[in-house]
Amino acid sequence: MLSPGKNLYLLLKNKFVLILILLIPLFTSVGYAQEDISCYHCHTKVVSEFRNNIHYQKGFTCADCHGGNDQANSSVISYSVMSGNFIGRPSRNNITNVCSKCHPQEAKDYKTSIHWAQIQKGHPEAATCTDCHGVHEIRAISDPNSSSNHQNSPATCAKCHSNKEMMSAWYYGIKTDRFDTYKESFHWRALSKGYTLVATCSDCHGNHNTKSTTDPDSSTYPENLPKTCGKTNCHPGVNFDAKIASGLVHDKESLHTGELVFNKTSLEPQMKDYFFGPFDLAYWIAIFFKVLTTGVIGIFAGMVILDFLSRLKVHKRW
Amino acid sequence: MPGQKLLEVSDSELRGDNTMGEVFFKRFTFNQLLEHWVMIGTFMLLVISGMPLKFPDAWWSPVIINLLGGFEMRTLIHHTAGTGMVLLGIYHVGYHIFVDKEPLLERKVWPTLTDVKDFWQTILFYVGKAEHPKFGRYSWKEKFDYWGAFWGMVMLCVTGLIMLFPFVAMEYIPYAYVHLSTIIHTDEALLATLFIFIVHWWNVHYSPEVFPMSKAWITGNLSEEQMKHEHPLEYEEIMRQMNEKSEKITFNR
Repeated sequence: MLSPGKNLYLLLKNKFVLILILLIPLFTSVGYAQEDISCYHCHTKVVSEFRNNIHYQKGFTCADCHGGNDQANSSVISYSVMSGNFIGRPSRNNITNVCSKCHPQEAKDYKTSIHWAQIQKGHPEAATCTDCHGVHEIRAISDPNSSSNHQNSPATCAKCHSNKEMMSAWYYGIKTDRFDTYKESFHWRALSKGYTLVATCSDCHGNHNTKSTTDPDSSTYPENLPKTCGKTNCHPGVNFDAKIASGLVHDKESLHTGELVFNKTSLEPQMKDYFFGPFDLAYWIAIFFKVLTTGVIGIFAGMVILDFLSRLKVHKRW
Repeated sequence: MPGQKLLEVSDSELRGDNTMGEVFFKRFTFNQLLEHWVMIGTFMLLVISGMPLKFPDAWWSPVIINLLGGFEMRTLIHHTAGTGMVLLGIYHVGYHIFVDKEPLLERKVWPTLTDVKDFWQTILFYVGKAEHPKFGRYSWKEKFDYWGAFWGMVMLCVTGLIMLFPFVAMEYIPYAYVHLSTIIHTDEALLATLFIFIVHWWNVHYSPEVFPMSKAWITGNLSEEQMKHEHPLEYEEIMRQMNEKSEKITFNR
């Protein structure tokens, strides 16, 4: 039989073990952070995000983007940390300069894009590197969690392009229904059901060098569409005579209001082919099938019910 | 059809035990049965693999797609079954125009004014205001089934092929029409599915007249009882022809 003293000892011993086990991850994580990045003490959240960054995994540190001296003593907010070429948070029109140090080609491509053109025009909110790739949590493109991964591209673009305030406040005339209309397409339906070999935003619109559809150099300029759709991995062998520009790639039921249009000169060229005379076929065909389906199923299902009721001796059997 | 067997007599008649065996009436030829079986197979596959895409936001949509083996498999199944259905349609039209010897315009499948009358009389019957109409070889319901399926096949096959080869189609038609095809294809498919599952299955499976099912789709035959009940005019016609024939035989003796 054990004495009470012995019991207490065992309990304490167990608690110590327990506490030790609980504390181990804490020690290791703090130790790990101090080991490589001195910024951790104040910028805990940012550095934690940076842990998921592909650059961190490749051995880059805060200083590679922000400048300064990351070898300085971590326990003091030290002047020496921010010494030298420390740039702090780069302004939106300077982010490209930071990235172009190592990614010159991407930056060069980006500078031909509509986004960069808008930044140059004094709209710094237009997308720059970090808006698509993330700020501190930049992941490799092939990482499924990366915001610029192929299948996350719709959501990433929609952050800005579905934002009505943003689109109307700064850039008059940009449509905010692009993600909604994409959702009606086969591409999205397949993608959302796990088939990723389909086109998302960047496959058609380009990524770094995305341009306005009205720009003749744009991959979505009507005359360039056969080439864009006919990429080797997409729909190879698209004939260049294909009438692919005469319809809405971003189509949606609500775009077809059924309004009779007699003068089609004011219509967008992509809309014209939906019309038969003044009638928008996309609207009227849908109406036709609604009436047909309701009518046929209504009449026949009504008969089925009557037939069934006749079984309950509502009237004489035949 | 000339030369077609109208009656099929069961074995017991041949036993010579003086008892008349059960008489069956030829309803469908084996060729027609085969077409129907292929139709059932392709149609069911097409509905199962197609509807999750018509209603992508429904809770059952990903469930069915996963059961089918993923989106790619769903697409493969749909395209394969669709090709089968297109071939079936071509075979059907080809066979009944070029191989079937019965004059095209004299076939009993064409809608007539009597069908309109029968349709109205059926409604009156259902509300208890008239006798049930007497049908010939094909009732108006069966003709509607047939021509409904015919129209549906044309719609679905044409729009389906446009969507299967959109860039070939776009050499001839604008891209807008490919979109119209998706509207026509899915709406027509929904109509067909509802019609088959509600109306057709009621007529041939669930209706107390035939429950659990009319076996004509397996055997191709109808019993004398069914024949008298469902196609009394055809029954009378067959009996009249039989009598004429037997009279002729008696006369020749």
